[in-house]
This record gives sequence, C-alpha cells and structure tokens, in this order.
Amino acid sequence: MKILLLGMSHRSAPVEIREHYAAEDSVAEAALRRLAEHPEIGEIVLISTCNRVEVVVTTQSPEEARSRLKHFFREELGGGTPAPGEGAFDDHFYLHADQEAVGHVFRVASAIDSMVVGEPQILGQMKDAYRGSIELGTCGPILSRLFQKAFATAKRVKNETRIAQRPVSVARVAVELARQIFEDLSDKKALMIGAGEMIEAALFALKREGLDSLRVANRTRPRAEELAARFGATAHGLEDLDALLKDSDIVLSCIGGQGHVLDAARVTRALSARRNHPVFLIDIGVPRNIDPAVDDLDSAYLYDIDDIQGIAFSNEEERRREASLAETIILEEQERLAGWMVSLKAVPTIRQLRARAEAVRQGELGSSLSKMDLSDAQTKRVEALTRSIVNKLLHRPLARLGAQTEQDQGLAVVEEARALFGLDDSDAPGAEVDSELDASESEPVPAKTLKDDDDEVGSAR
Amino acid sequence: MTEFQQAAAAIYLAAGILALLGLALPAPRLTRIAVWGVGLGALIHGAAFATLHELDSVPQLTDLPYAISFMAWIAVLSLLVLMWRLRLGSLTAAVGPLAFLAVFLPTLGVQSGTDADLLSMRGTMPHAHVLLSSAGLGMLGITGLAGVFYLIEHRRLKKKRLGGRRLSLPSLEALDRVNLATLMIGFPLLTLGLITGSAWVHATSGSYWSGSPHAVWTLVGWGVYGGMSAARFFGGQGARQAAASAVGGFIFLLFAVIGVEMIR
Repeated sequence: MKILLLGMSHRSAPVEIREHYAAEDSVAEAALRRLAEHPEIGEIVLISTCNRVEVVVTTQSPEEARSRLKHFFREELGGGTPAPGEGAFDDHFYLHADQEAVGHVFRVASAIDSMVVGEPQILGQMKDAYRGSIELGTCGPILSRLFQKAFATAKRVKNETRIAQRPVSVARVAVELARQIFEDLSDKKALMIGAGEMIEAALFALKREGLDSLRVANRTRPRAEELAARFGATAHGLEDLDALLKDSDIVLSCIGGQGHVLDAARVTRALSARRNHPVFLIDIGVPRNIDPAVDDLDSAYLYDIDDIQGIAFSNEEERRREASLAETIILEEQERLAGWMVSLKAVPTIRQLRARAEAVRQGELGSSLSKMDLSDAQTKRVEALTRSIVNKLLHRPLARLGAQTEQDQGLAVVEEARALFGLDDSDAPGAEVDSELDASESEPVPAKTLKDDDDEVGSAR
Repeated sequence: MTEFQQAAAAIYLAAGILALLGLALPAPRLTRIAVWGVGLGALIHGAAFATLHELDSVPQLTDLPYAISFMAWIAVLSLLVLMWRLRLGSLTAAVGPLAFLAVFLPTLGVQSGTDADLLSMRGTMPHAHVLLSSAGLGMLGITGLAGVFYLIEHRRLKKKRLGGRRLSLPSLEALDRVNLATLMIGFPLLTLGLITGSAWVHATSGSYWSGSPHAVWTLVGWGVYGGMSAARFFGGQGARQAAASAVGGFIFLLFAVIGVEMIR
C-alpha cells in the first residue's frame, strides 16, 4: 500500500490558479465520492484552504492512481478547463509518495509550510478536512493514522518550539507591545484615529485582548460610527481628539492626509493632564500621522509602521529558526509512523509465508504419502519431521521480518523477502492459499476503533 | 550559620540561577519554578529567624549581618506579595542572588562597626529600630530594583529592538506599581526606624541626636526619600523619573545606613 499526495500551494502556484481548483464544499464532496469509486484509489482526504489544495490517497497501483488524481484535479475540481495562465500541469502541482508525502502532511499540520510560519489556522483546517473525509467514509485506517499522527506532531512542534510564540501581524505586534507597557489591557482605554481596514484589524485584536473601552475618531463621522457600532466602541470626530487623548492609554492612528494629526505639543498637554501616565502611540499611517518628536517625550512610546514591521520581521525570522527544530520533531514522528507502516506490511507477509510453506508441505507430503505404505504411527512421525524442517527453515526469516518493523529500512527488507519467496507471484508454489488469506484480511479497520491518545480529534471520530 | 540559613541561602541561589535562565532563554516555566523556589527559601529563611533563640550564643538581630539578612527577608516577602497580583517573575533573577548574598554575609565575616556596647544592648528599642529600619530598607530595596528593571525596559521600548528572541521583563506598569507600593510602605517604616533610633540614643545618652556619621548620613538619606515621596505622590512625577530616583536613592541610602557602618 502506498501513500500519494498530489496538490498545489502558495509555494507552487499563484492565487489565480489555486482559486481555480478550490472547489466549493458540495462540488468537492461529490467529486470525492466519484474518485473513491475507482479501484486504484483506496482512502482519500482532501485539504482545501486559501493557500493550498491537496489530495492524499492510499493506493496499490501508484501509476494508475497518479493519472487518476491528475484527472481528478483537471476534470472534477478544475471543471475540465485549465486555470487562466496555467502552464504545464507539473509547473504548479507537486506529487509526493510514501515518506515524502507523510513528511509533507506533518509539515503542513505543523504550519512550517504555511505562508506565515507557525500560524494556527492550518491545523484547524486540516482537522476539518480529516473530519469531512471520515464523515464521507473515504478515510480508512492508514490515512486516519497519518492524520492523527500529523495532529500530534503539530502539537509537539507547538509545545516544544517557539514557532508560534512571537506575533507577526501588525495588529498582534502592537498588542504585544502594549502588554510590555501595560500590565492589564482590560482596564485601559484605546483611541483609534481613522476608520480603515488597519483600524478594523486593530480593533479586533484589542477587543480579543479584553479591552472594552474603545473610541474611534475619524474625519467622516458616519464611517467612524459604522465601525464603532461593530466593535461596541464610541464614535467621534477629529475635533474631539484633545479631550480623548487625555484619558487614552493606547492611541493607534492610520488616517489619510498630509500633516501630523498629533504633534509633540498636543501630546505633552495630554500627558500632563494624565499626570504623566504612559501612553502608547502606534502610527501606521503613510505619510505618518504623528510627529516623530513625540517619541522624545519620556512617557510617550511611539512606534511607526517601520518599527512595527521591523519587529514583525524579526519575529518571523525567529519563527523560521524554530522551524529547523520542528523538522527534527517531524523526522522523529515520521520514523514512528514508518515503523507502523512496515508492521502493516510485515504481518501479512509473515502470515502469507507461513501459509504458503504449509501449503507446499502438505501438498508434497500428501503426494508422497499416497505412494508409500506407512502405518499411522509412521505417518505421524513423517508429518512431524516435515513440519519441523519447514519451521526450522522459516524460523530465522520470520524472526528477522518481525524485528524489521522497528527498523528504518524495515520496508525494504519486507519487500526483499516478498521478492525472494515470490510472495507476489501467483504461480509460485503454495500461491493457491493467498485467496483464502486475502478474504480474511480484506476487512479494513474502522477509523473509530483506531487508538490515538495524542489528539483531541480522536473523540470526534 | 544555622542549617536553616544554609538551606535558605542555597535555595535562593538556585532560584536566582533558574530565574536568570528563564529570563535569558526565555523560558517562562523556569521563571515560575524560580518564584516557587524563592517562596520556599523565604519560608525556610523565616524559620531560621524563628529558631535563633535556640542557639547557645544568641546572635542579636541588631548585629549588622543579621539585620541585612532580615532586610533581605522582608524584601523577598514584599516581592512575593506583589507577585500575587502582578507579573513580576523575572525580578526573581535579581532578588534570588541578592537574598543569597544577604543570608550568606555572616559567613563572610562582615562585622558591624557600631559601638559593641550599643549593639549588644538588649531591649525593645534597639530591636524596634533595627527591625523597622531593615524592613523599610528591604522595601525600598525592591523600589530600587524595580527602578533598575523599569529603566532597562524603558530603554528597550524607546530603542524599539524588541523582535525575535529577547528577555521577558515585567511590564512598565507593573514595575511602576511596585515603585509606588514599596515607596508608600517603605518610607514610613524607615521614618519609624529613625524615630525609634533616636529614642534608643536618648535612652543611652540622654540626647535624641547622637551626631554620629551613621545618624547624619541616615538623616540625609531619609531626607532624599522624603523629597522623592513628595515628588512622586504630590508633584506628578513621571514613572521614568521615579524609577531613576528610586535607583539613585537606594544606592545613597544603602551607603548612608550600611556603608558608613562598614567603613568605620
């Protein structure tokens, strides 16, 4: 059984192409059902986010499965037409098999492959994709194990590295800086100057920090009122700035127009009115809204867009450095999963080898005994002798196969054993028992019976 | 040095080292363990004071090394109380090693330069003077320490080099609250220490003013803190100036009360 992953992400394809293949849920669901009907495709999980579209499958026939997946993208997700400006298929798609595919899924879940390294959304999106496949009935024991392991790996990466600790967005950096100045943001007052998208993002971030006293001041009051209403803030015109400044602990400005909205004299007056209690000013306007001289005031901490982006960039660098630590964790988990995959193949191999040897022994013994005139006691002795010979011959290979499930090269040894003993050869002696074995092993393990104590998703299955 | 003191010193040092690691890595878990460590150290340190009377030769709390040890204990306790409400764990990185030194001083042979007769004097007044002054100094020590951290954090915020891996220091607001709270309690305690000291001198010499260098420098130090308190509580002094004053004031006070004793 092989694992294949075919897909595209922000690294391999621009948004115009990604959006072409990002089908709506209902369309994707129907397409997945149709894909599952093909014999070369085993289990399926489809991951579709704004930054990636990937399908992970298990297969016994990798070549056919690969063609089928290409067809799935082109015809089912892409609606039979290439995306505008799309070149050759391989230009934007990547295909990973087995350990490469496992590593890729682990990296995606751990947010190492994300546009913003360490971002938390991808894990939730992957859990949703996994749940969707379980509900659709396309996820079986192998992909179930793979995804459970991916979630556990992501958890380890989050806990054991600092990959998600430092904020990288302007709004989050501003909030973290505010927490360096103020002990508790919930009792602070914030003043937003402007009513654009950045102000909206900042309002969202501050609200999430528990800051309730929010005020929005803008040139056009109706826009301020509209934004304020959505966040439970109060709306003001710019003429109220002096009064608002006096009791504002956090001031965030992003408003158009030339000239400084706040100058040093104005802030000095506000500071003396608030008995020099510190004020944190964030100026993300271009051109700048707040006079840089304000930063010379002892109790005023002024950060402009370059300062904030400089911090965000350093934090992003830090996250990337942490990603190399995360790679070590991913490799460890990948090896553990590989051990499990080998055991999946080793156990049937051992069983098949035993069954074939027994079939050969019985066949040869039956034809020989019919030509000999032996007493019951002699027959039993010959039977015991042949059984003993077979057991002794098989003991070492079987013990070795069992032990290989724990080794890095385990799968290669299992493959070698299958080739040596001709286990995939239907004409080999004893092959007639394979069909009986297949019948007893073809029942897949239901996903809900799989054990995994590392992840909370297990409870949802 | 009793076994309790040795244990307290060792725990303070270990907690300090853990907190330093927690600060530098940064690893908040280590800092949290360090805070619990300092708490345990303070408990054992308190037990050390409680069992002093069981020793064969009873050391006087009025002996300088023991007074310093008591000052450190009060400083640690006041910091632990403040930590209940404020995120001040990283201060443990400084308080741990300082408390270790303070407890360890008796073994370093630090001796008081004060008149042996005066120090060996038993009674309420000498003890009240030393205990109140030491408690006041302990609190003002925390004011000064918070001031140092405030100035470091203020500088970092002004320099705007806060990205990537960096020290995790308390917020400016938390440090300023420490400044206010410890000054508000520490200065009155120091004042009471001065009053009881004066009463002690009166009981031995008949005069309220001894005129000794210790008395003169301490009075000047008290005046400095009086000025600082007035500026802070009534003059609308900003937090950064208050932090800088707290650092300067404590260095001066340490010299006035202890330094002068030691160099005599």
